[in-house]
Amino acid sequence: MGSFTSIVYKEIKELVRDPKILFGVVLLPLLLYPLMGQGIQISQQAVETSIKGAKFSIYSDDAGTIANILVQYIKTNNTVLTIEASSLQDALIKFKDSDSVALVYIPNGYSQNITEGLKGNVKIYGNLKNLNLAEASSSEVAGSLVNVYNYYYSLSLIKSLLTDSEQTGSPVAIHDPIRLSFASIIKGNVIEVSPSQITSLIVSQSIMLPIMVMMMVIFAIQMAATSIALEKEQKTLETLMTLPVGRLTILAGKLTGSVVIAIAGSISYMIGFSYYTSSAFSFAPQVTSVDMSGAGIGIQPMGYALLGLVMFVTLVSALALAISLAVFTDSVRSAQSLTGVLIVPLIIPAMILMFSDIEMLPQTIQWVLLAIPYTHTMLATKAALLGNYWIIVRSIGYISVFTVVVLWAAAKIFSTERIITSRFTNLTFRKRKKQSS
Amino acid sequence: MGLAVKIQDLRKSFGGFEALKGVNFEVDEAEIFGLIGPNGAGKTTTLRILGTLIRPTSGQAEVFGHDVVKDANAVRVILSYLPEDAGAYQYLNGEEYLRFMAGFYAHEKTALEEMVQAGRDISGLGDRLRDRVNDYSRGMKRRLLIARALMIKPKLTILDEPTSGLDVIQAYHVRGMIKDYAKRMGVTMLVSSHNMLEVEYLCDRVALINEGVIIAEGTPTQIKTRYNAVNLEQAFMEATQLG
Ligand SMILES: Nc1ncnc2c1ncn2[C@@H]1O[C@H](COP(=O)(O)OP(=O)(O)OP(=O)(O)O)[C@@H](O)[C@H]1O
Ligand SMILES: [Mg+2]
Repeated sequence: MGSFTSIVYKEIKELVRDPKILFGVVLLPLLLYPLMGQGIQISQQAVETSIKGAKFSIYSDDAGTIANILVQYIKTNNTVLTIEASSLQDALIKFKDSDSVALVYIPNGYSQNITEGLKGNVKIYGNLKNLNLAEASSSEVAGSLVNVYNYYYSLSLIKSLLTDSEQTGSPVAIHDPIRLSFASIIKGNVIEVSPSQITSLIVSQSIMLPIMVMMMVIFAIQMAATSIALEKEQKTLETLMTLPVGRLTILAGKLTGSVVIAIAGSISYMIGFSYYTSSAFSFAPQVTSVDMSGAGIGIQPMGYALLGLVMFVTLVSALALAISLAVFTDSVRSAQSLTGVLIVPLIIPAMILMFSDIEMLPQTIQWVLLAIPYTHTMLATKAALLGNYWIIVRSIGYISVFTVVVLWAAAKIFSTERIITSRFTNLTFRKRKKQSS
Repeated sequence: MGLAVKIQDLRKSFGGFEALKGVNFEVDEAEIFGLIGPNGAGKTTTLRILGTLIRPTSGQAEVFGHDVVKDANAVRVILSYLPEDAGAYQYLNGEEYLRFMAGFYAHEKTALEEMVQAGRDISGLGDRLRDRVNDYSRGMKRRLLIARALMIKPKLTILDEPTSGLDVIQAYHVRGMIKDYAKRMGVTMLVSSHNMLEVEYLCDRVALINEGVIIAEGTPTQIKTRYNAVNLEQAFMEATQLG
């Protein structure tokens, strides 16, 4: 076995045996995506069941028959607590202390108004005890119950009016003369899904993706920094450098070992991601019924391949950067705090891209963001979703150029003696001493 | 007998600080040479220059006639260097470590196996070689590292404080290991230490170094008689007062 392969082999062996690395780079993306999917599903289900099991209260000030019919209708469709009270004030106090989440209030005059062909008032109070989504949705449910009633009541009115005036026509059509529907055009294909459904899907992804990229890169950086710092702390790097093996061979071997792990990371990232997109599509039930990939929205094999490549060059650059920085430190802790600085250019684009689109930003901010290589990784994931492959290719190009520069710097650093003599902790200490004297 | 190490007016500065201020000494082939001095004297700096890790600011250092700067690769082939406070890869086991390191010297299978076997024997770690380095005591780690340094049969072995941080018993074992191997194989060693008794026990000849200069050189007996001291420790105190 040559020196290079033997260093690579040793490096992989070490990294694979480190449980932190196995977890962070390989298992985490595999686990996290399905967990995120599950998490969303579980919380949606929780909201749904708590809406279904929600209790409503009814307080009616109107003793008329028409009001009674509404009360009966709501009662047959839900668990309902009828509040007996002398006034609305009183009813609200009782409602506040009850375990029901919405109060349907029918004021006096409701029956009268409707009999006279006017609008009858109904008011719904939501009881926001915990300020959660389920509570708010429950009052919506109460509202839609009333709306359903409203609709059928109106239909029956129209029907009787039609009969009375001996005219023909469909009560449904008269009630809603216009049938409105939406469709979207994506890359020249007409797809029978509303634009808002598609954008909400993409928005949800564009929040998840930057976070995921950020986490992967942070883990890779920590992995490489820890590994090189351990070599310095344990003086194994110093030992290696007295062996009959070139310094660039040592650097290349170390880097290749980390890259192999990073490839495993990229693959598990892609698997996790494809799992996530497939389950994310199932969150929007109306959308699944349509073949989205036919419209070019889902990620095609080409997109996955390019995404994997983006993740790969991103990780290589991050690893080379981490190695170049960590080599100046003399302990794992100082290496981790020094490479921690690298998290800043990751967090900034992640935060901005999570909440807005790059095209929406002012020109100067766009340029600043685009100068950061990791921005391109995040943009590429969204581009893959939309099938804009040339954007991904551009990203790969830019990150690759950046990577080459970093590798060149790393090679320079490895061929000087500074790799042995520089001591990050001492360096800062000495500077401080100089300033104070 | 030839010269193993020849150092002439060696200087090294770190920034504005001069760590070596013109060091001169020679090590003969097949002798154990001790470099002794207090913390910060310049021992590690000298050994690192010999080990091709750092370059001198000026002066010359040769290992078996090869210049450590111009001919660094030739030096690396014949030299074994044990850094101060060194460790081994914690996720490898002892056997894997020896095999990994042997791979840089032995390029065919039988030579490799022979080298690894030599490492096993020198370490005296037996079955514990199959455990991860992480689980080793300091003493075991040091024995593994010294075995690694010696198994390649280097022409020159540089050991920077081989017993530092070890307790009395472990230090005794490690010293025994080094002396035993040296006696058997007749090798050349350059050992640094600030333990004067250790050096007196191990070394044929010593150099006292202080603040980047050699203040005395000779066999332990010569140095002791020169300063009229009962041991090297006392001689060192005398020498620094004179210097
Ligand atoms: N990389 C470096 N940067 C700055 N100064 C250094 C560096 N390495 C060594 N020195 C300084 O050079 C001097 C000699 O250091 P050296 O490590 O050679 O001493 P030593 O004799 O090995 O001491 P010890 O017994 O503590 O190991 C010390 O004052 C040290 O602070
Ligand atoms: Mg030292």
